Amino acid sequence: MVELTRPQSVPGSMPPIPASAQLLAVAWLRWRIFVNGMFRKRPKGKRQIVGLVFATLLRLIVWPMLALVVVGPVAASGFFAWMAISQGHPQSLASLLLGIALLWQFVSINGLSIAATIPSFDPASLVRFPLRFGRYFVLRSLLGLMTPSTIVGCLAVLAAAAGIGVANASLALPALVVMAVYALMNIYLTRMIGAWMERWLANRRFREIFSMLMALFAVSIQFINLQRTPMRAPGARSSWLLAVLHSSGSYLYWLPSGFAAQAILLVKHPLAAVAQFAALLASTVLFAAVFAVRLHKQFLGEHLGEGVSGREKVQSAPRVNAPAPQSAALSRPAASGAIVSPTVAACLRKEWFILRGNGTQLIGLLTPLLFVVIFSMNRTFSSIASGYFLPGAIAYLLIAALSSLYNIFGADGRGVQVYLLAPIRMLDVVLAKNLMSLALIVTQVGLAWTIICVLARTPVPVSMQISTALWTVFVVAMNLAIGTMRSIQAPRHFVPGQGRQLRASPTNRTSALLVLAVLFGCMLLQIPVAIASGYFRMPWLAAWVFGPLAVAAIFAYALMLRNAERLILANRDVFAEELCKA
Amino acid sequence: MTTPAIDTTALTRRFGDFTAVDNVNLRVDAGQFFGFLGPNGAGKSTTIKMLTGLLAPTSGSIRILGEDLQANSADIKRQIGVVPEGMALFGRLTAEEYLRFVGRMYGLDRATTLNRTRDLLEFMQLAGEQKKLIADFSHGMQKKLALAAAVIHGPKVLFLDEPFEGVDAVAAGTLKAMLLRMIARGATIFLTSHVLEIVERLCTHIAIIHRGQLVAQGSLDELRAGTWRIGQAGIQEGVVSLGEEKRSLEQIFLEIVGTDRDGNPAATAPEQELSWLS
Repeated sequence: MVELTRPQSVPGSMPPIPASAQLLAVAWLRWRIFVNGMFRKRPKGKRQIVGLVFATLLRLIVWPMLALVVVGPVAASGFFAWMAISQGHPQSLASLLLGIALLWQFVSINGLSIAATIPSFDPASLVRFPLRFGRYFVLRSLLGLMTPSTIVGCLAVLAAAAGIGVANASLALPALVVMAVYALMNIYLTRMIGAWMERWLANRRFREIFSMLMALFAVSIQFINLQRTPMRAPGARSSWLLAVLHSSGSYLYWLPSGFAAQAILLVKHPLAAVAQFAALLASTVLFAAVFAVRLHKQFLGEHLGEGVSGREKVQSAPRVNAPAPQSAALSRPAASGAIVSPTVAACLRKEWFILRGNGTQLIGLLTPLLFVVIFSMNRTFSSIASGYFLPGAIAYLLIAALSSLYNIFGADGRGVQVYLLAPIRMLDVVLAKNLMSLALIVTQVGLAWTIICVLARTPVPVSMQISTALWTVFVVAMNLAIGTMRSIQAPRHFVPGQGRQLRASPTNRTSALLVLAVLFGCMLLQIPVAIASGYFRMPWLAAWVFGPLAVAAIFAYALMLRNAERLILANRDVFAEELCKA
Repeated sequence: MTTPAIDTTALTRRFGDFTAVDNVNLRVDAGQFFGFLGPNGAGKSTTIKMLTGLLAPTSGSIRILGEDLQANSADIKRQIGVVPEGMALFGRLTAEEYLRFVGRMYGLDRATTLNRTRDLLEFMQLAGEQKKLIADFSHGMQKKLALAAAVIHGPKVLFLDEPFEGVDAVAAGTLKAMLLRMIARGATIFLTSHVLEIVERLCTHIAIIHRGQLVAQGSLDELRAGTWRIGQAGIQEGVVSLGEEKRSLEQIFLEIVGTDRDGNPAATAPEQELSWLS
């Protein structure tokens, strides 16, 4: 064993730590976390091959989608900037830059951030090291630059500068300088919003209010869209939204996007251009300063958790003669006429308590229904192809609802040990969780069904209703079977109701791909059946197809349940590794 | 009079309407092995977080090695080492990478960092686990690594929050020897632990916090003799004698935290037995 013989004390007057040493150390830390994440221990054998296949498929699907998300706004920015200058609509440059900023902030707020989802690194944890605030501020400004929102935003701004330069070469240099500052302004605006959101989202009640606001925002956007492109009747009044947009054009010049646009366009009037550029710089400094205020509080040691309420006086419970332990009775079906066994009932109660106390999750359940209401009220949507709106709306609801079936133990975390240690059958736990999911899905589908039948202008044919019901049973049973198996084989811990920026994804990547594949496979199955049904004029064909499929899916689910106990016991080590580790 | 290593005045921390730490006046002289005790939820970890600059006090002041913590946090952090409650390790690094990162953050040059990293990994018996990610370490291994990271820069004051929790007996013996050697070289150690035997064996001075208030502070001998100082709201109220016979630390601890502030038995003990337990 080695003797630690080195002197333990640090000299009284210590030379300052070079900033470069600390900045490079953090850069090296991020690099090592990235590299180690790439070469992390993978499962061996058959699982490794399956995982590799799924990961490759996922990349083949997701990367082109991501590329479209990046290429779309970037190409559009460059094109519209070129058009604004070359076609003589310079005033629309401010609108374009505002659009880029809004997209940038929206993507960022929604937590589509690579840095935020990398586990085991929280930049705030750097405060425990001997950093001065200036360095901490620089580090927090630099960390997280490789987020999709920043990359897309910066590329879009760069493309806009290129578009301006191509349209008018004399504006190329000022456009480049102004756009660089505009990008910096957006980065600090994002950081400022993110830092304050982090502060507010630390409070559960605020998280719920925020989720509700986001849901309302998403819903109101749909109304705005309907207003912008009125489809109710020919000759209807022109949209109020377009009128508002037209009249608000002059106000855009008082926003940073307006300052940036004017700083470029007024290049022939140097004094005015410099004043606009100074205003853009001032707004950048303002956002950086507000961000710094928040960081400084964090640097000094801020508590971001829930406020601890005063201790309540402990009321001594009235003495009750406790009955003798009846562990053996727990797993037996209830003899007193109850529908489910005590274990299933207890697990159901627990799931209900968690759901009841989680406003964010409840809002998530209600939001798709609001969309169904909106689309049902719209003539174009609700009369799609003589009644195909009903299966379409149900499919839309199920996309959101069914993904939770693929990680039913994830929210339990370490609590899963209670199930494994208790004298109960794991089958009962699985059954309870599935029953709760099923109850929520049935409620959602039932409400959506009622809404569509009441609000839709075209009556939904009975044949369509029955075939949709059979298809729904088929899809739900099939996803229950595959999802439960996946929950057992690849559980992943997550905290329900937390903001997306604060938690990992509720399913792993392979499960995510599986959800997509199964859901879209089931949805796509409707299309050939519908075409054949129309071609052969057989309205009941879909029912004949989906009826047997529904029975088969229920049978598959029953088979899976029969093996659930054995599968869980065989996967105890996976549970311990994924759910019980710190 | 020598400058105390840790000196707090009326240190208070509130969370909403709950006062976690209430008017605590602590004084830890340089070179002391100081045990900070209290029942669960008494305010120990909150106090340590404030003393190490991870949590701002609501009111009161903290001086570490004679310097004000709020005003000189970066300089003070260079001279202290911390094993916090949650260990705060970066799970996606290996032990060697983590120690190298910490050494560089504390301003050690590359060669010194590498040498100390090697020494510490060997000393903590982690040298064979160099390729393993910290996330895959056992709890005890993570504790040892956290302690290694806390001492890599040779701190003058070391704060340890439950350092022996989950550490095997062999490693615990090694760690204790290392800590005692640090004390012999003039370092100050501030330790919280629920294992009173360890505290009694290692610490020379003890403070007990209960419901956020400091209820006892003194040398181990003073506590054993049944006398100690009570410090509240910045006033040293004198010496209180509890009796002539010598008590063990566990007896003293139970006697203090088992009574309320007026000396009456606390109403925390269950009045009824759990008769249904076999």
